[in-house]
Amino acid sequence: MSANVKRKTCNESTSLGAKIFLGAVGLYLLIPFLVTFVYSLFVEWTDILPSGFTLRNYIELFGNATFWASIGRTLVLCFASVIITIVLLLLAMYAVVAINRRLGNVMQFICMIPYALQGVILSIGIISLYTGTGTILSNRMVMLFGAYAILVLPYIYQGIRNALNAIDAEMLIQAAEMLGCGRFRAYVQVVLPNIVSGILVSSLLAESIIFGDFVLANNIAGTNYQNIQVFLQANMDTSSGLSSAIVVIIFLVVGAVTALVLKLQSGARKSEKE
Amino acid sequence: MSYIEFKNVVKRFGDNTVLDHIDFGIEKGDLVTLLGPSGCGKSTLLRCLSGLEAVSEGQIILNGRDITGVPASKRNIGMVFQQYSLFPNMTVEQNIAFGLKMQKADPAVIEKRVQEAIAMVELTGKERSYPANLSGGQQQRAALARSIVTEPDVLLLDEPLSAIDAKLRRALQSRIREIQQELGLTTIFVTHDQDEAMVMSDVIQLFHAGRIEQAGSPVQVYTNPVSEFAASFIGSYNLLRADEFRALTGDMADDGRVVAIRPETIGISAEPPIDDAAYVAEATVVRSVPRGNVLRYTLDASGVEFRVDTLFRSFHLFDDGERVFVAIPKHDCLHIPAEAAHARAAA
Repeated sequence: MSANVKRKTCNESTSLGAKIFLGAVGLYLLIPFLVTFVYSLFVEWTDILPSGFTLRNYIELFGNATFWASIGRTLVLCFASVIITIVLLLLAMYAVVAINRRLGNVMQFICMIPYALQGVILSIGIISLYTGTGTILSNRMVMLFGAYAILVLPYIYQGIRNALNAIDAEMLIQAAEMLGCGRFRAYVQVVLPNIVSGILVSSLLAESIIFGDFVLANNIAGTNYQNIQVFLQANMDTSSGLSSAIVVIIFLVVGAVTALVLKLQSGARKSEKE
Repeated sequence: MSYIEFKNVVKRFGDNTVLDHIDFGIEKGDLVTLLGPSGCGKSTLLRCLSGLEAVSEGQIILNGRDITGVPASKRNIGMVFQQYSLFPNMTVEQNIAFGLKMQKADPAVIEKRVQEAIAMVELTGKERSYPANLSGGQQQRAALARSIVTEPDVLLLDEPLSAIDAKLRRALQSRIREIQQELGLTTIFVTHDQDEAMVMSDVIQLFHAGRIEQAGSPVQVYTNPVSEFAASFIGSYNLLRADEFRALTGDMADDGRVVAIRPETIGISAEPPIDDAAYVAEATVVRSVPRGNVLRYTLDASGVEFRVDTLFRSFHLFDDGERVFVAIPKHDCLHIPAEAAHARAAA
C-alpha cells in the first residue's frame, strides 16, 4: 500500500516536472513568433517604446488579392508536389516489398540524393537541363512541381519505408496471397491502410519544407508563380510591420495545416478502434 | 498416388542447396510434421508448397494436379505464419472474412462461416477486437480461423506456436489437433520441437541438412531412430561409441556404429538386479536433475557417462556419489550407423 502511494507520488512529480520542462521549451520556441507578432501590431518602434498600436498591417494584407493568390499558389504547390511524390514512391515501394527486396537498396540510394542537393544547385540544374527542350518539362510550372517533388523525396521516402517496416508489409502481402488475394490488391487493401499515419506525418513535414522554401520558387518561377515566400521577399522593403504580419500569417497557416493533419490522423485512429 | 506428392524437389539459394531432392507423399487427412533443427529446410519446403517460394527443380502435385508453377493465391492452400500476420487494420471478424471475400462468397455465407470459425477457435466475444488488443494465443487462434474458414485443400502451419508460452502452447496443440481431425483437413506442421511433433503428428518427416533423415509415425521414429542424428534429435538417447559400449557392458559393437539407448529403458537399483535379458553394470551417481515427473540421473560407469530417467517419486532417490546398479535391456540397445561428426544429445 505504502509502496503504491510512493509510486503514485513519484509519478505525479515526474509528470509535473515533464510539464514544466515542456512548457519552458515551448515558450522558448514561441519567442521569435511572439516578438514578430507584437512587432506587427505597432505603428513604429524606433525608440524604447513603440509609438502606437495598429491593425493596419493585417487589414492591408487581408485586403490584398495578391497575398491571397500567393497563399493559394503555395498550398497548391505543397499538396500537388507531395501527392506526386507519394504516388510515385508507393508504386516504387510496391516493387520493393512484393517483387524484389533487393531493390530497397537502390531506392534508398536514389531517395537520399536530394539531401545532398542545395536549392540553388537543384533549381539551376533543372533550368539548364530542361529549358528550351520543347517538351512539357520545359514548362516552368512543371519544372517547379517536379523540383519540389524531388526536394521532399527523402522525407516522404523515409516515412513510407519506416511505416512499411513497422508492419512487416512483405509478410502481410504473403498472408493475403495465401487467402487468394493478388499481390497488388493485397498491397492496396491490406498494406496501404496500415501506413496512412506514416504517410500523413511525413507529408506534413514535406509540406512545411515546401511552405518555407524561397530559393526554388524564386529561381524557377519567380514572379510568374509567386508563392508566399516570394511575396514576402517582394514586400520586405515596403514595410517591416507588413513583413512581420506576413510571417505571422505564414506561421498560422502552417499551424492550421498541421492541426488539420493531426485531426485527420486522430480521427482515423478513433474509427479504427471503433 | 498420395494426396500431396513432392517429386525430387530441389531448392537452391545461389550456391546453397537448401532442399536436396525431397521425395515423399502425404495422405489425405493426415497431419504431417516436418521436424528438424533451424536451417534444415523444413520451412522452405512449406513455402515451396504454398507457392511463396519457387522450386529450383522437381514437381509438387496436389490432389493429382501439378501446382509447381501455380501462383500462391490460386493454390487454395491455407497457411498460418509464426508471426500470426493478422491484418492490423481489420477486426478479428474482418480478418477471418477476408479470404471468403476474395472468393466472392455470398455475404450471408460469409457471416455464417465466420461465426462458425470464431466459435471453433473459441474467440466468441472477440469478433470486433483488433489484433493489437488480443493476446498472442488469441491472435494465433484468429490466424488459424482465418486459414481454415476458406476450406483449403491443405493447411500449412509454420511454427505457429513458437512464440507462445508453454502452458498455452500445450492447450493450442490439442485444439489444433482436434480441429484438424474434426475437419479431416490435410495439414503440414513445421516445428523444431520434438515433443510438439510427438503430440500432434500422424507422420513425422525428420529433416537434416536439406534431406529427409527419417519418416514414420511418432512411435516408430522415437523407438527406432535410423541414424545417430535421428537418435540425438528425437528423445534424449544415450549415444555410445563402440569402445564406450564395450566398457559399459562388456559386449561388442561394430566399428562405425553407435549404440543408442533410451534413458527411460535403463533400470536403476541399490542392489544388483538379476536379469539375463539385460546388461548389468555398477555405476556412480554424478548428479540428478528433476524434470517434471521425471528424475534424470547422470551416472558414471568405468569412465562412461550416461543418463537414466526414472519416475520422480519421493522414495528410491539416490544421492550424488552413491554406488548403484543399472540394468540395460539388450533389446533396447540399438546399433545404428555413426555420423562422421558426432552430434550427441545434450545432457
